[in-house]
Amino acid sequence: MSPEALIGMLAELERIRELTLDLIERETPRLLPAPLDDACGAERTVFDLLLGARRAVLGNPAAARGLHDLLVTEGRRYANTADGARLRDALVASEAVENLRRVWETVSLNVLDGPAAPNTVPDAWADLLADAVIGHGLDDSILARLRPEGFA
Amino acid sequence: MTLTDPREALADQSNFIGYLLGLAGLARVVHTLAADGGRRSGPPPDSDDFVHVLLGLASLGEAIERLANSALAQRDPTDEARALAAPTTRWLR
Repeated sequence: MSPEALIGMLAELERIRELTLDLIERETPRLLPAPLDDACGAERTVFDLLLGARRAVLGNPAAARGLHDLLVTEGRRYANTADGARLRDALVASEAVENLRRVWETVSLNVLDGPAAPNTVPDAWADLLADAVIGHGLDDSILARLRPEGFA
Repeated sequence: MTLTDPREALADQSNFIGYLLGLAGLARVVHTLAADGGRRSGPPPDSDDFVHVLLGLASLGEAIERLANSALAQRDPTDEARALAAPTTRWLR
């Protein structure tokens, strides 16, 4: 197969990946909430920004995890310097950071945390989508009665 | 665009300086967060991945500002005239 054909195949796979993600988003409206009707300009801007961040993370989990790991590694290195340690202590004690953490966890649904093999999607991402797609439309209160104790 | 029919001057469309500015801006936001007057109640928890991500951004921003400052400090006024006279070859051409 020629290099041009291989690159064409990669481009086609990327297109299929995008279409699959679109389909998942349509099947899981809870992951793609509708904006408030009465949202004013600033609120709408923030909503679009947060939704864009969620799409970026859920749509590109391996890349997002790679970037996340890169920043964590650099952050740990910086924390070993005097300036970095001072900044770390100030961040840990800051209430604003705590608020930002809540925003981030709500937007990302924590899919970047937990185990992940190198250069692959994090396990939490697959778990979240499986829950969102498979659990859609099921009445959990009925299922809960059928589920033996101790089963997830 | 294909491999056999490349677009010319792709590098001219690059927004590399914009990326660097964005990272430097995010790093300043991290410092603003750290300087926030509101202190959380109770003993501070250990730093986790979230805090290290913020520290990573701050570190990158600091490196970018260092880069810009050293470039400004080393700037030779004749460089600008030389650059105008003979533009450097860009990548991705």
